[in-house]
Amino acid sequence: MNGQMIGALLRKDLVLFFSNRFFALVTVLALVFYAVIYYAMPGTVDETLEMAIYAPNLPPGFFSELEEGGVQLIPMADAAALRQAIQSGEQQLGVLLSPTFAQNLHLGQPETIHLYFAPDLPDEFKELYTLFFREISFMLTGRPLNVTVESEILGVDRGGEQIPYRDRMLPLFAVLILMIETMGLASLITNEVTSGTITALLVTPLRVEGLFAAKGIFGVTLAFSQAAFVMGVTGGLNEQPILILFLLLLGSLLVTGIAFLIASVAKDMMSVMGWGMLAVLVMSLPAFMVLIPGVATQWAKILPSYYLVDGVYQVLNGGWGWGEVGQHLLLLTGFAAAFLGLGVLILRRRFQG
Amino acid sequence: MSQPAIVSENLTYHYGDLVAVDHISFEVGEGEILGFLGPNGAGKSTAVKMLTGQLLPKEGRATLLGQDIAHHAKQIQAQIGVCFELTNLYEPMTAAENLNLFARLFGVRNFNADALLERVGLGGKGKVRVETYSKGMKQRLMVARALINRPRILFLDEPTDGLDPVSSETIRNIIKEAQTNGTTVFLTTHDMVEADKLSNRVAFINKGKIVALDTPYALKQQYGKRALKAELVGANGQLESREIVMDAPDTAAQISRLFAEEKVVTVHSEEATLEDIFIQITGRGLV
Repeated sequence: MNGQMIGALLRKDLVLFFSNRFFALVTVLALVFYAVIYYAMPGTVDETLEMAIYAPNLPPGFFSELEEGGVQLIPMADAAALRQAIQSGEQQLGVLLSPTFAQNLHLGQPETIHLYFAPDLPDEFKELYTLFFREISFMLTGRPLNVTVESEILGVDRGGEQIPYRDRMLPLFAVLILMIETMGLASLITNEVTSGTITALLVTPLRVEGLFAAKGIFGVTLAFSQAAFVMGVTGGLNEQPILILFLLLLGSLLVTGIAFLIASVAKDMMSVMGWGMLAVLVMSLPAFMVLIPGVATQWAKILPSYYLVDGVYQVLNGGWGWGEVGQHLLLLTGFAAAFLGLGVLILRRRFQG
Repeated sequence: MSQPAIVSENLTYHYGDLVAVDHISFEVGEGEILGFLGPNGAGKSTAVKMLTGQLLPKEGRATLLGQDIAHHAKQIQAQIGVCFELTNLYEPMTAAENLNLFARLFGVRNFNADALLERVGLGGKGKVRVETYSKGMKQRLMVARALINRPRILFLDEPTDGLDPVSSETIRNIIKEAQTNGTTVFLTTHDMVEADKLSNRVAFINKGKIVALDTPYALKQQYGKRALKAELVGANGQLESREIVMDAPDTAAQISRLFAEEKVVTVHSEEATLEDIFIQITGRGLV
């Protein structure tokens, strides 16, 4: 194995990869798509709670405490308009107060607050809002509940600096880019096996180790450069760039191993797509768990991509450094080595079969 | 025979219980062309795979250029050229890109793809993608690829199978030229006429075993019958043919009678073909 051989094989793989118009197009479009999606999404989190209200004769500033607390009141023209706003889904929560509400409240007379909920609002939220208005009632009548409420923030207090969805999505982008490239590389190898060109290569002085080295370098470079590019244009390299790039490099090694495994079982491009999509779905699961907080469970940690996704997420959004992410790096290295080793072992048998 | 370039000693391979190559032994001298003939499934391809280092023999050994292929595959592969039966070129690449890739793998310095393409009749086609080539052009490019490293041994597997006469003739000329330059040629073919024309010796392989190995002339002498075939005008004015076996005790008398008593139109000598001999030895055809 020497540099000239590896260089020649890399040049050949590059020509072949981009001669497959499907993968070339997918590669370019995906890069543009990820960047566009990222910038199309809001960069901040809207912390205000909108509440439609129709409350005739209510004195100005009656709900000033609520408004200072982040609740945005949307006044409605009448009760019908209020109902319409909720029914149409324009608003999730509506409050209807009677014209005598403020007056009766001061006199200690019984009053009713009508709450209207959008049909798709979860039950838990409906109960929460009901409790919320009972509490307001007590506040407005000056008769506090005979309980003491204590609150505690678990984890980093992100009040006022919540993580925007687009930043939550960055690890998903990284995993998707890397995983899509498994299909490109696996397809390239499968084509070479089925067309017999691998056999032609292996009756030259080229050793099978050299062939794997070239395929590995090509796969890692292809995946890593694209993931790094998307991270770069979306600001994902602004914090701890070396650490993020190192995580992506390990991720690229992992997906190259997965590509070898796919190529060892796939018979043509369609089966590459089938196995590849299965791998994409499984490996992307941890990224969706980051997108939807609370759904992450212990079993996600058996997926190698979890350590890439969580690592990238925590470095980008949790302020983690080399020390905190060290265990992730170690496990990701182990998974990458295992997948690459297994992929080489099985694919080697196919090359020489 | 000169110093052997290929020595096969009891070379054996089996896929499970199926014996594909069964203890075959032979030698091929340097600069010799050996035709390796047999029907489909006879074990030709498996034998070639073992000789070129693609498969490790289960038993026996093969020595090429003085080295055991099982232990020195890469050193030997640097000195041989292989032209496969099935087209296995990088079709999205140009012909020149294909040849330059393999030239780098062989470490050939100052490689001139255009000159080699010219030699196989593909001059001016170097920048054309291989996927647009005809079957004959692809086959010529395969042969060109096998010649990149100026191989000391050239393995050709059905090089002219299914080609037009012009492409076939071009490839035969390349084989002859390679032999003139001292290259040993191991030629696997179904084409008996081609094997007869090109080979110094031929080996018949059947059910994994070599059943005959000699020069085409010697095989014809040993197994074939020589005859004269005459066309003459019969009693009713129609053309008739008559065969006179050459080695019969009364051959001379028969020939004298033929010319004295009959009106002879044409006379041809007739000898057995390699295919006739193969059928005679194995009891089956080559397809």
